[in-house]
Amino acid sequence: MAAVRRHRGRVEVRLDADERRAMLGIIATLTPHLGRVARTVPHAYDDPKLDEEYARLMFPEVEASRDADIEQLRESLQSGGDRRDLDDAQALSWTRALNHLRLVAGALLGVEEDGWDDAVDQSVLESAEFTMLMALGWMQEHIVQALDG
Amino acid sequence: MPTQTPVEAPVEAPVRRERPVREFGWNVVVWNDPITLMSYVVLVLRRLFGYDETTATKLMLQVHHEGRAVVATQPREQAEISVTRLHAFGLQATLAHG
Repeated sequence: MAAVRRHRGRVEVRLDADERRAMLGIIATLTPHLGRVARTVPHAYDDPKLDEEYARLMFPEVEASRDADIEQLRESLQSGGDRRDLDDAQALSWTRALNHLRLVAGALLGVEEDGWDDAVDQSVLESAEFTMLMALGWMQEHIVQALDG
Repeated sequence: MPTQTPVEAPVEAPVRRERPVREFGWNVVVWNDPITLMSYVVLVLRRLFGYDETTATKLMLQVHHEGRAVVATQPREQAEISVTRLHAFGLQATLAHG
């Protein structure tokens, strides 16, 4: 069963083979939507000209960073056994990757406003996107706690 | 220990450098989004801006309740770098002249 804890100054993540396979499936499903759905193409300025300049000059850097974080998460899940010992930078990279993937899952669910999860339809609860959002959130929350611990 | 008489170095008048007003006072604004975890926003604000937990939590709650918060005011170039870093963390952030 998945577990995350602070251990000897590092973040220890335990995932069994089925959980790693499930995470890799989530990554494969959501990654193609990055840069195509809401909130995965951030804007920096209200002014359209300045925003266009930002998109041209700075956004490639954001995309490269995002892709590197997701690739690091994917590679880590593809190799080794149940346990990973992440240093601070690796754990932060995981949280970034998980957040980008959560933004995609939320967009695919059509989440627009706070409180969306107060009364969720049964059809949403049973959707793959909701399951992915929750799984990614669980992992991210526990890594954040471990980083703070 | 040296016994030489110290020589007084010539003192130049400080050069006053004029900087364009628009260089200063760019607000880095973080916007609410319904997906991102509150604890993650606090972590990012602490790591990127060096805030203590209380300040970062206060800013996060302002984002959550008011829809946005100014998390830093910096020269434009630095503010743009901050926004780029926030975007790399997956947060919704913009910069605006203060």
